[in-house]
Amino acid sequence: MPLLQAERDALLKPLATVTGIVERRHTLPILSNVLIRKEGETLTFTGTDLEIQIASQQSEGFSGEDFAITVSAKKLSDILRAIPDRAVVTFEDNEGRLTVKAGKSRFQLQTLPAGDFPTLAVDTNLRATLRMPQGQLKALLGRVQYAMAHQDIRYYLNGLFFVTEGSHLKLVSTDGHRLAFASAELEGNFDKNEVILPRKTILELYKLLAEVDDEVVIEIAGNQVKFAFGSIVIHSKVVDGKFPDYQRVIPQNNDKFLKIERQVLLSALQRAAILSNEKFRGVRLVLTDGVIKILCNNNEQEEAQEEVEVAYTGAPLDIGFNIQYLLDVLTNLQVETLDFVFGDVTSSVLVNIPDNENFKYIVMPMRI
Amino acid sequence: MMQPGSDSPPASAARRIAHLDMDAFYASVELLRYPHLRGQPVVIGGRSTHAPVQDKDGNWHYTRMRDYVGRGVVTTSTYEARALGVFSAMGTMKAARLAPDAILLPADFDAYRHYSGLFKRAVAVIAPDIEDRGIDEIYLDLSSHTEDSVTLARMLKQAVTQATGLTCSVGIAPNKLLAKICSELDKPDGITVLTHADLPTRIWPMSVRKINGIGPKAAEKLAALGIETIAQLAAYDAQALLQHFGRSYGDWLHRAAHGIDDRPVVTYSEPKSISRETTFERDLHARQDRAALSDILIRLCERLGADLERKGYVSRTIGIKLRFSDFHIVTRDISLDAPVQTPAEILHAARECLKRVPLDQRMRLLGVRASALCHPDQLEQMPQRYVQGDLFDGE
Repeated sequence: MPLLQAERDALLKPLATVTGIVERRHTLPILSNVLIRKEGETLTFTGTDLEIQIASQQSEGFSGEDFAITVSAKKLSDILRAIPDRAVVTFEDNEGRLTVKAGKSRFQLQTLPAGDFPTLAVDTNLRATLRMPQGQLKALLGRVQYAMAHQDIRYYLNGLFFVTEGSHLKLVSTDGHRLAFASAELEGNFDKNEVILPRKTILELYKLLAEVDDEVVIEIAGNQVKFAFGSIVIHSKVVDGKFPDYQRVIPQNNDKFLKIERQVLLSALQRAAILSNEKFRGVRLVLTDGVIKILCNNNEQEEAQEEVEVAYTGAPLDIGFNIQYLLDVLTNLQVETLDFVFGDVTSSVLVNIPDNENFKYIVMPMRI
Repeated sequence: MMQPGSDSPPASAARRIAHLDMDAFYASVELLRYPHLRGQPVVIGGRSTHAPVQDKDGNWHYTRMRDYVGRGVVTTSTYEARALGVFSAMGTMKAARLAPDAILLPADFDAYRHYSGLFKRAVAVIAPDIEDRGIDEIYLDLSSHTEDSVTLARMLKQAVTQATGLTCSVGIAPNKLLAKICSELDKPDGITVLTHADLPTRIWPMSVRKINGIGPKAAEKLAALGIETIAQLAAYDAQALLQHFGRSYGDWLHRAAHGIDDRPVVTYSEPKSISRETTFERDLHARQDRAALSDILIRLCERLGADLERKGYVSRTIGIKLRFSDFHIVTRDISLDAPVQTPAEILHAARECLKRVPLDQRMRLLGVRASALCHPDQLEQMPQRYVQGDLFDGE
């Protein structure tokens, strides 16, 4: 008696959805496994790393007895990927092992008891429920996720500051050298809620959200946030820590305005970056009347120079940056023009989208 | 007692270097405390519960090796215990089978450090150019002294004995390599003086293992080439050594066999790393014993942080060391953008390192190490090129 019979794609898609967060090697062997549970006609795949839990449901008339097993996520997805597209796959329980059959192929996999699978205890202390189109959240995340810190000792920077306030959702990320801020207006009015979502959650969420108008429901609880969209439910713990006061670092007195076509600056920087110092990635921007000069050199004293004509009338300025921090913002914003507002050589530069208060990017210069 | 950066004579000048090694140091310190144990096999390596107890009649009661149960290793042993085959780093249980009647004493590192300070200060009065090689051995540069070597060695030994009541062995030779070999030749309480002319008769007949720097693996490799004595090593083709052992080690082997060693006596040195480690009472597993392990890690980081603070260092590289139940050792390091000193910072970095080790086996030892050390005031003097500004300076 098979546990389950389905076309390969009906299984591979939900499996692939949850395996992104599954660590291959873990102190707890069951964390390398995916939980497969059938209840009624619904089949649910669940993966977890104890911080994030992703579940993906399919309700396409699965018949037969209810069951729940866990099996290596990596091996099962490797198997499913390797068999033909439209093949019909059968799961059979074989005395504690899972037999996967497809055509003339047959695989026996070890299982671990579903009862041992650690599912996150759902925090019922619900503080806010937000609804917005998936595509809108994806676009918002795209504007900030690249500036999150990675393995920073200030662990609270290795994530995204997620704030509801009034009718606004505000997202802030920073690695201490640059900071990205994006906000959006939501339906409804919210108390002030501030949580830090782990970097891994944000990257996974950004990957899984589709560019569609279908709704994503976000539930903020005490120490957990839940994202539900399409057939996917993500539960994420929040990072316990205090995010720095981002408003304090938004420069107020910068007075040198530069309006520039995003693509033109991006292309020039990409060319110059070829000869930037590999370790420090420095770039010099020399602003004079109507012209911005872009200069890179590396350890071998090779040099790149670019000139872009711009509408700049401020005082001359010779300022250095980590070129990656400039490339990041230019690549991740899908807009025509950007405003750069400079202060002096040692103060941060503010990058704005013209006539748009919902985005800000701040970069500290690099002394070169 | 040590002068920072004092100059040593050029390598070409004829030098006179002494290696002074305390005799069975820990055990001898213990014998000062329990003099009636003199002449008996004594093993140091117990826990404080093994400390001798004095009853009301003034009689001492000692723990015998046969009563030992546990996982410790022998720290050191008296010459009488060594005669029974008990040496340092041997498992205490194994040692107990070899010498069941030997007396077991707990290690008292505070006492050893105290006596270490005493003998080094006494030596410094006679010969101030001292390279500290640990708790019980030092190198001395005697090149500027006028007395003959045997007289100097007697003076040094007498000063050590007067200050501590302990004996030491002194080797005097033209360089550190030979001095180190020398101090071993007439142990305990010995004096050995050697010149380059003595090399063929006194050094060459010895096993290559006597050279400090040829360990069991290199010795095995040498034996496979038919090299067992230092004479055979000296006679071996230098080019062939380079091929077998690589340029650096091969060259060193050749030079060592010919008694050549230009290393100066380094009278002052910065530590390369500072570490803390602990062997568990029983093997622990990352899953079942998570809480206990976490506590141990936190304590190690606290102690390491205190060490760094006391010694005035910050560290840019934090590493962990794990010894598993099958004794294999895994280390992981993480280099940090910003130097750290506080226990919380060390702990965070150590946890990052731990994430990179598969922890499916039981562990018996955990250690945390801080390296890439520097003084905080040196940081500001580093080259000021490519300095990335910080948004949250001062937070």
